[in-house]
Amino acid sequence: MKISYNWLKEYAYFYLSPEELADKLTNAGLVVADIKPVEDDYCLEVEVTSNRPDCLGIIGITREVIAAVGGELHIPDTDFETLSAKVTKFIDVTVEDPVLCPHYTARVVRHVTVRPSPEWMQKKLRCIGIRPVNNIVDITNYVMMETGQPIHAFDLDKISDQKIVVRRALDGEMIVVINGVKRALFHDMLVIADSKRPVAIAGVMGGKETEVSDSTRNILLECALFEPGHVRRTSKELGVFTDSSYRFERGTDPGGIELASKRAVKLMKELADGEIVSGVIDIKQREYEKKRIPLRIERLQKILGIEIKRDIASDILKRLQFTIVNEIDNFIDVVVPGFRGDIYREIDLIEEIARIYGYNNIPAKTSICVRGSIKSKYEAVEDCIRQFFIGLGFYEVKTFSIVDVSPLQSVKLWSEQEALDIANPLRQEESRMRTSLLPSLINARRYNVNHGNESIKIFEIARVYLAGNKLPHEKTCLSLLIDADFFTLKGIIESLVLYLGISLKREWIPFSEPKLFRDERAAKIQLDDKTLGYLGEASRELGFKTSFCLSELDMDFLVEKSNFEKRYHPLSPYPPVFRDLAIIVDEEVSWTSIEKCITATHISFLKGVNFFDVYRGKQITAGKKSVAFSLCFQAEDRTLKSEEVETAEWTILDVLHTTLDAELRKL
Amino acid sequence: MFKKTEKVKKDLQEEIRAVTTLTDAEQLKIKYLGRKGIIQDFMKLIPTLPAEQRAAFGQQINALKAEAANFIEDAIGKLSREAIPKVNNEIFDITLPGKLPVTGKKHPLTQTIDDVKEVFARLGFDVVYGPEVELEYYNFEALNIPADHPSRTDFDTFYIKNDILLRSQTSTVQIRVMEKQKPPIRIIAPGKVYRPDTVDARHSFMFHQIEGLLVDEGVSFADLKEVLNQFIKTYFGKDVRMRFRPSFFPFTEPSAEVDISCSLCSGKGCSVCSYSGWVEILGAGMVDPHVFKAVHYDTEKYTGFAFGMGVERITMLKHGISDIRLFYENDIRFLSQF
Repeated sequence: MKISYNWLKEYAYFYLSPEELADKLTNAGLVVADIKPVEDDYCLEVEVTSNRPDCLGIIGITREVIAAVGGELHIPDTDFETLSAKVTKFIDVTVEDPVLCPHYTARVVRHVTVRPSPEWMQKKLRCIGIRPVNNIVDITNYVMMETGQPIHAFDLDKISDQKIVVRRALDGEMIVVINGVKRALFHDMLVIADSKRPVAIAGVMGGKETEVSDSTRNILLECALFEPGHVRRTSKELGVFTDSSYRFERGTDPGGIELASKRAVKLMKELADGEIVSGVIDIKQREYEKKRIPLRIERLQKILGIEIKRDIASDILKRLQFTIVNEIDNFIDVVVPGFRGDIYREIDLIEEIARIYGYNNIPAKTSICVRGSIKSKYEAVEDCIRQFFIGLGFYEVKTFSIVDVSPLQSVKLWSEQEALDIANPLRQEESRMRTSLLPSLINARRYNVNHGNESIKIFEIARVYLAGNKLPHEKTCLSLLIDADFFTLKGIIESLVLYLGISLKREWIPFSEPKLFRDERAAKIQLDDKTLGYLGEASRELGFKTSFCLSELDMDFLVEKSNFEKRYHPLSPYPPVFRDLAIIVDEEVSWTSIEKCITATHISFLKGVNFFDVYRGKQITAGKKSVAFSLCFQAEDRTLKSEEVETAEWTILDVLHTTLDAELRKL
Repeated sequence: MFKKTEKVKKDLQEEIRAVTTLTDAEQLKIKYLGRKGIIQDFMKLIPTLPAEQRAAFGQQINALKAEAANFIEDAIGKLSREAIPKVNNEIFDITLPGKLPVTGKKHPLTQTIDDVKEVFARLGFDVVYGPEVELEYYNFEALNIPADHPSRTDFDTFYIKNDILLRSQTSTVQIRVMEKQKPPIRIIAPGKVYRPDTVDARHSFMFHQIEGLLVDEGVSFADLKEVLNQFIKTYFGKDVRMRFRPSFFPFTEPSAEVDISCSLCSGKGCSVCSYSGWVEILGAGMVDPHVFKAVHYDTEKYTGFAFGMGVERITMLKHGISDIRLFYENDIRFLSQF
């Protein structure tokens, strides 16, 4: 809210420069975001939190200044002389919905002269960014900014049958509002109507037909209380947000209606030569009851952690205009002023005392006990994985979880269910919860390539969102993108799995997802017969000049299977023997089948089978390939004899020959 | 025979003295020590000698062989040392650049989260996570933000449908933890949050927050101040000052916003701190009794505090980053700077 420095000083004497004032307000919780000199005044931009509608008027802010620096509040005088005619002679008010309108008042001012308001008023309004219109409209704005209570002036002569009805709108009813826009009303909305039609949307905006114009002679001044939640809903549904709705939806002071109403008609008498009609229409649901809250000093001290004394607490509350009914021992019995609708519990009083006492006067000291914190397995594995990839030269990226609805983004790696869509997206580009991180990594690569970066190696750890019962399943994925070939990335994944202490059976099954992967160059990775993830060369359809590889792994599964418990295996003191072999097999024979065949021999001292080359060429018959590998033999208890190794070698070749029709390649 | 070996030794010494090039020295090595060399010839004589002389002669030959080898190797060594500058006048340039191994980096936001996690881990806080797609209840009602309440204005939210939304704050995790666990509680919850803000240099529809919660008997505002003081001093530096300002959050009472002295201008005032000398870094407060009621805690017995900070914000402050969008473009030239 914008306030004028000079205006504020009309309600209290204080000796603070605009900067000092800003500092006091900020430390009391009303952040002054900006101070601007305007003419011979200063405009202070005050951020008022949503719980403090009482500070949406300059008098309210003055109360805060007084609480901080002391002094007395000067409320403007509202005594005036009236005509003898009674207000009931000019207007009849019925409130049909007392729940949404618990309090409605109306006054009448006759024979006003509509003209520009005096310069002193215009100047203050200009300072806080309100455009002066005419004396009547300016007075309603002025009083609202002063008291925080919105008021509305109708042209009384345009109210049909001198009748006001506060009721729900009828279906299909329309109203042309002040800014000239025609709006359809819904049945739920509260309106101010005359005998024929709505003349205002209650608490939100007045109607065009009954607004004050240059020819207006008689004024009906409305000053009321509307149910905050309803004003908020109406304003949201219509998309109309006004100074009035802003205040009503936050809750106005039921005790402030009289002041605002009287202040406004008095100003109309003074500045528009109006004659105030005697009396007021005052339809009140019930008498407003002030809240009474007992405060325990012990509790106050416990919450704040300081030895604050009772007299200090009660002094602060008095400065905030709270009434102290009783004060004994460790109790203060407090009555809350009507404008503080936000205060209804002991804890609220404690905050008030802390706020004015000064948060910065509460010492920072703690007696919380020592407690060890143990890293969860997830945390440990995540750290480990990040270190692993950074060590390999990968950069970690962070991409958006909300993506577009393109076919690429609709890949279904982890679930057959449809992706979750946002009901109220800002833009089409961000309207769906992603089901894979890979499209985002591809976009990150594109961005980098377009900006001249080469040899991209990136990874991301983030969630994908898979439709579930009530809430979706949020699966954490580890995704990789590398400017390298399939086997480089496969090697990295194999290495990662071992690094995490996972020795479970791994399988690589042909996989197809043409939107992501190049045909016949992608695999589904199985770990212990469950899907660990996917790996493949990026599809040519993605439109890149150079090839790269992608992988997405189930991070939750990796975490589950990781094993950091390590047991020492004695190192064999006997030397290993290596034998390199090359065999010729049919093109269809996979390395996995060769490896399985070899390990199935169960030679106790066979320690490893390591592939090193595949060759197709002149010396090899078409349709066949030469596969070379190295065998490592080592016994735990003896040096192997060359005959033993030779026998083992022949056993292996024999099995390869009988099962896979493999021939030893003669060099 | 003995005399013969003496002569060979003498000849060799003379010849070595005469040698000037490495090639000549190599030739000499072949002449004396080669397979068909002089010394080998002596060896061949051994079987022809009478048995009683063989051993002594053998020893003699071996000694000669060792001596000859020493002489020749010395000469070769000397010559090759001299030869280097003559043959090769290259200089080993130690100032040529080294071969850099490729290294990666953690994303700057991860670095911030990790740093914050570490500070709080030392203070005994466990790390927990919660769902990003959340029930409206956890994002609002349980946090004392009722429907149609003006405080909801501060929390514009993406919805999936009806009562399911994308959490707009990590405070949701407070409720989820307290529902399952009785005090004492000491947690921090990092994670993504979402708000329908149009993207610009300071706004992003997705960003990261870290939430903290401590609940126990006898926890006070002074404890909150000291815990945050410890964090600020550890994370931002010992000389950084801290300021608490009253504020409003529906789920804390009293509520505060916490500022630190601007590190760029040391509090003198600059564009980063809008010439105030202070920059806001987090929101905090004592857990509101309504929140405890939602999780059925005894509000008389337990008190607690909560705090929350924006990861992007403190990362931008710490590194002087002016545009939030840089975090999500993932330009390697940007990522490699941290």
